[in-house]
Amino acid sequence: MRRLYVGGLSHSITQKDLKDRFGKFGDVQDVELRTRRDEEGVPYKTFSYINIEISDADLKKCLTVLNKSKWKGGTLQIETAKESFLHRLAEERQAAVEQRLQPPAAEDKRQKLLDSLSKAGVDNFTMKAAVPGTEVPGHKDWVVSKFGRVLPVLQLRSQKGNKARTMKYDPSKYSHNIRKLDRNATDQSTPVTQLTWEVQGGDDDISKKRRGEFPPYEPPRPKRSRKDVVNSHNAAGRTRFEQTVPSVNHTESHHFTNGFQLPTSHRPAQRKWAPLTDGDVDSDEEIRRLVAAQDTSHGALCQGVEEDNLEVVGLDYLVKPGRSQQKGGPDDEDEDDYDSADTDELFASRKPPPPPPSQEKQTLPTAEHLSGNNTDRKRKTKKKSKAGVEEEEEEEEEEEEEEEEGDSADDEDHLTCRKPAQQRGVSAKQSSQKHGSSSEKQSKRMAALPVVKPPLSESDSDEDDEDEDDEELESADSCSDSDYEAMFSNVTCLEISLADLQRLAEESQQTSETTPPSILSAGLEQETNHISSPAERPAPKKGTTPEDILASIMEDDSSDDEQKKKKKKRKGVTSAPLPAFQGTKTLSEGSETNDFQRRHKEEEEEEEEGRGGAVKKQKLDSEVPRVDCKISRTLSEQKHVEETTSESSEEEEEEEEEGEEEGEEEGEGEEDIEEEKKVVPNKAETSSSSSSDDDEVEEEEERMKASLTAKAAAKASPSSSSSASEEDEDEQEIISAEGVGKKATPPAPHSESSSSEEEEEEEERAPSRVTLGAEEEEKLQRKANVRRLAAIQQRLKEAEEHKKLIQGALSNLDSSTPGAGKHIVFGSDEEDDDDDEDKRQTTSEITMSKKTLFQDSQSEDEATSDEASANENKTRKEKKPSGPQLFGGSEDEENGDEEEDGGRFEIRPQFEGRAGQKLMVLQSRFGTDERFRMDSRFLEEDEDKGEESERKRSVTDEDEALEEEKKKNLSILQSVLGSSQQTCSSKTASKAKTFRDVSALHYDPSREEHAAFETKTDEIKESKSARRKKREEAQKLPEVSKEIYFDVSGDLKAVFGQTKDDVARGEEKTNWDQEEEEEEEGGGKDEEPTLLSSLVSTHPSAENDLDESSGFKFSFFGDDTETGSKETEYKVESIQAPKVSWQQDPRFHDSSEEEEEEQEEDEEQSNTTAKSTEEETSSKTDLFFFFYPEDSRLTEGPRLFFRSSQLEEQREQWEERRSALRQEYRKKHKDARRKLKSSLKS
Amino acid sequence: MRPLTDEETKIMFEKLSKYIGENIKLLVDRPDGTYCFRLHSDRVYYMSEKILKLATNFSRDKLVSVGTCFGKFTKTSKFRLHITALDFLAPYAKFKVWVKPGAEQSFLYGNHVLKSGLGRITENTMQYQGVVVYSMSDMPLGFGVAAKSTQECRRMDPLSIVVFHQADVGEFIRNEDTLT
Repeated sequence: MRRLYVGGLSHSITQKDLKDRFGKFGDVQDVELRTRRDEEGVPYKTFSYINIEISDADLKKCLTVLNKSKWKGGTLQIETAKESFLHRLAEERQAAVEQRLQPPAAEDKRQKLLDSLSKAGVDNFTMKAAVPGTEVPGHKDWVVSKFGRVLPVLQLRSQKGNKARTMKYDPSKYSHNIRKLDRNATDQSTPVTQLTWEVQGGDDDISKKRRGEFPPYEPPRPKRSRKDVVNSHNAAGRTRFEQTVPSVNHTESHHFTNGFQLPTSHRPAQRKWAPLTDGDVDSDEEIRRLVAAQDTSHGALCQGVEEDNLEVVGLDYLVKPGRSQQKGGPDDEDEDDYDSADTDELFASRKPPPPPPSQEKQTLPTAEHLSGNNTDRKRKTKKKSKAGVEEEEEEEEEEEEEEEEGDSADDEDHLTCRKPAQQRGVSAKQSSQKHGSSSEKQSKRMAALPVVKPPLSESDSDEDDEDEDDEELESADSCSDSDYEAMFSNVTCLEISLADLQRLAEESQQTSETTPPSILSAGLEQETNHISSPAERPAPKKGTTPEDILASIMEDDSSDDEQKKKKKKRKGVTSAPLPAFQGTKTLSEGSETNDFQRRHKEEEEEEEEGRGGAVKKQKLDSEVPRVDCKISRTLSEQKHVEETTSESSEEEEEEEEEGEEEGEEEGEGEEDIEEEKKVVPNKAETSSSSSSDDDEVEEEEERMKASLTAKAAAKASPSSSSSASEEDEDEQEIISAEGVGKKATPPAPHSESSSSEEEEEEEERAPSRVTLGAEEEEKLQRKANVRRLAAIQQRLKEAEEHKKLIQGALSNLDSSTPGAGKHIVFGSDEEDDDDDEDKRQTTSEITMSKKTLFQDSQSEDEATSDEASANENKTRKEKKPSGPQLFGGSEDEENGDEEEDGGRFEIRPQFEGRAGQKLMVLQSRFGTDERFRMDSRFLEEDEDKGEESERKRSVTDEDEALEEEKKKNLSILQSVLGSSQQTCSSKTASKAKTFRDVSALHYDPSREEHAAFETKTDEIKESKSARRKKREEAQKLPEVSKEIYFDVSGDLKAVFGQTKDDVARGEEKTNWDQEEEEEEEGGGKDEEPTLLSSLVSTHPSAENDLDESSGFKFSFFGDDTETGSKETEYKVESIQAPKVSWQQDPRFHDSSEEEEEEQEEDEEQSNTTAKSTEEETSSKTDLFFFFYPEDSRLTEGPRLFFRSSQLEEQREQWEERRSALRQEYRKKHKDARRKLKSSLKS
Repeated sequence: MRPLTDEETKIMFEKLSKYIGENIKLLVDRPDGTYCFRLHSDRVYYMSEKILKLATNFSRDKLVSVGTCFGKFTKTSKFRLHITALDFLAPYAKFKVWVKPGAEQSFLYGNHVLKSGLGRITENTMQYQGVVVYSMSDMPLGFGVAAKSTQECRRMDPLSIVVFHQADVGEFIRNEDTLT
């Protein structure tokens, strides 16, 4: 059945008509006719649907026949139409009914499939023992997959764009994806409890809130952390399983690597770890991790920051190569070598480290006390044990020697003792001293003073040291920052040195302890002593610390204060002043001489010196100390007795002793501190400069020279102290510092301290003795101290010896002073030989005098002691001139040494110069033998002179050539730099070229730079002008002579004539001045022959000068035009007269002004003036004063301010002029406009 | 060995002036003695008069080097500075560049200085200005030519070249045989 649409029917057609018409082709079952009408009911369209049973052929036929055929006034339009909806509905319902019938069939099908599958061996979609990928037999689309599961092969419709329509999905090929969820679950029924399920959404804040869980209140965080929060949300958004450590870590690490700031990174980390550790556990681990993370992030941050900054540095940035050197470690020393001597001086002055003394004190004592204790102990052991048998023997031998030569035995003894302990610190030295003292005891020559004495003296000397330190500190303060740095570096060194010292002390202790065993037999009290020593040891520590503090406090005070304090101390402790001073002084000196001897023994080079010293010493000893010897001996015995008793039974005595010793130890400790302090800088110095011996030597030389004169030395000393004694100390310090020189750093400071502190030591030592109640004791102590000092001195000498050796070696290399080194060897020795005896005499005398002086001073106060020291100084000074090469004074051997050394390195007058050098060579050929000593007579001077002159000539030639070359180079350089833009000279040139607004320039005569604007006149010219002025002045005088007057008038005439010409011809005139001159000349000729001659004589120069003009002129323009290319900014230029429009002689002032104005009046005026001058010349005879009767000037003058002509005339003139001006103006205006236009167009 | 001709002197001074400007004067006119430039086998040596006199004792073919070699004249009669001149350039250098420690090695192997390795630079350095390269500890490492001016350097990306390498102290090892 078909349903046809038939349109284009007429309104009159009925269903029957249609039925009939279509009936021909088939069976018409239903006709539905419809008519469309408009609002008025008029049909405008009629169509119908026809349900017809028709075959396709018929339908075709029908369509061909009836379609577009005309029927009853309308063209039919036939189309097939859709089925009517009713019909369709009916069909659907029918289909639904049919559907109900269908399902069983589908069931059947599935069942069939299952059956067939089961037939093929598939049970419950699993086929056992089947390899994945095998097809199920009989079922094309079924495949066995993993676990024997049978799965269908799927035809998946592929997405658009793919060529293949479908995609075959073979599950067997993807079997690895398949996972067994639960093996037995298929059969097991899930328990009821598991049937409940939670709302998904996990730990989301919102979901939690939905569940009714609200998080604890947290204060709002800064915005920074928002991102972190988000991250944490993300993390939380995952299931709990996913929220594992790695994920958190990942986020964290992300944060850190990003380089967030620390606080933010800290918080999120905590937050994230919280879930891991089930909440609020802040374990150490966590914190550690956090810290580590922070550190890493920090580092990252820093790097990031570093990368960004790019320094831009000014041109004046100073490169500091020192920095690198400081960092450079070992290279430092090498580089120091190249430094000038100044740096070394700095080093020397820098000796003491600056850090606050109190701190130092507190830190240091431990080590120092140890050493001090050790020394103490040693001391005691020595005291008691006296010495071994061998030593005794030696000493006895030495005794004899001593008696013969002096104290040489001591020296030897010291030497023997020292050798093991040589490199050790203070303690070692002291031990050696003790040895010496003990030996002396045995010999019964000298008492065992050193035992008691040195410590005491040291205790006092500490303060002195501190004084020195103060001074040094001050000096250090004055030093620059670099010094500070160095000092700080020294501080670090100090620590090391402390350790070293400790070690050394221990070593020394060991050695000392090793020695005792051998002595055991000799010393009975040794053991007791040993026992006592440890007991004593703790005590000093207690005692020292407050002392140290006090000392540190005192350090702050000035040296004067220190002295005062000492006085107080003295007064407090002692009731009466003591004679100690003198004795010790001399003793110390004696010790110094001893040192000399020792040195001399050690080194045979200076035998003679040493001998001299020995002799001196002898005298000294004999004079002062030896007198006390016996007494001291007895005292020492007494003391020994005391000690033994104290050890055995009397505790009080012991305590006393201990107290003393404590004091001593304290002193020692302090001293040690000081020493160490000094040692350290010294060490630093030496370490820095050890590689460079040259520097050292030079320094020393300098020092020696300085010390040649005591005052000079005092000045040279880093700190300028008011008191003379301090100066002395300083000097000694310096010496010791020098002595430090090479290797024996520790001994030097010690000696330094000891030697420097002698005076005060003595002073303060004495009182303590007084308490004991025996002057002799004091003396003994003094002696002992002297011994100690002597040992120290010896050390110093040794060091100096080394220095000298090195100096000698170096002086050969030294090109600057080639002769000096060699010369030393000869000169000093000889002179020593010669003057030995005399010197001895003188020195002894001097010492005597000194003694007296000191005795006087003893009775007085400290001030007097100072004076005494001053006296000492004086004596020293006195001695110095007497023998520059010899160590003159017995009291200040060091000074003598210095002098000597200084003398050595000074070039003798006879060795100076080229000839001197030759002489030197000649002399050196024959060694030191005096018999073959060569004089200057042996020099062949003539040859030398000839050679020299030749050489000089050649040298001068070469020099000249080089000089020329240099000049040439410089000139080329100039040209190069001139051409190149960035050089300074060109810069100045460019500066000169900078634009100057001429109009803005004002000549200010008061300003100096404007003087450049003035064109200067030559002197001759000036003289001329001056002459003129004079003449003019003379003219004013009534009694002026005619000549001069004429001259003036001639001049004036010329001048005014010139002006006339000038005005007439304008500015083009080039040589008006020449003309003027000529005119002048002419005038002169006419009127005055005498004047003419003078004029002629001056003429040639005058002509030139006139070019530059006579007066003074301004030259703005000339400068601009001509000096632009020149280098100088405001160069005075000789300017061509014509170029400068208004440059005029000031004499022409009024007329020039008028020129500028360019008025006819002026012309007239000038004419008239010229006339007047002419008149003047003509009627010169009746000239009187300024005016003559009927002076034309008087008549013409008023014209300047009068109207010369009638008003009408002037007006006419003006009218004429005005019209002309107007025309010109218009023309110019037009031109300007045209130009403007053209420029605009272009 | 002979003194430089005017032309040669000019060329050399022009080159030197790129690094030390008018400070050449300090090399030519020294207070501590007479110093001069000498040409020997196309190389320019800077020596004191004393050494010059000593050197006259040797024949030309036997003389390898005298004083300090400043550089050599190329066949095209240009002057090329050697690293040996650094000792005299460094103290007088007008424009300096400091290289970060990390970039030192790179520079000492003959590479240019990149912005990333630039630690410090003298202000107002012009482009193609001769500069002396220092380490951050103020150790002169060599010299070169500024590839960019200071202002440009600030804005550069880290991998761009800031200083063109000309000579570095590494050449003492690398070009040991040619440096005399």
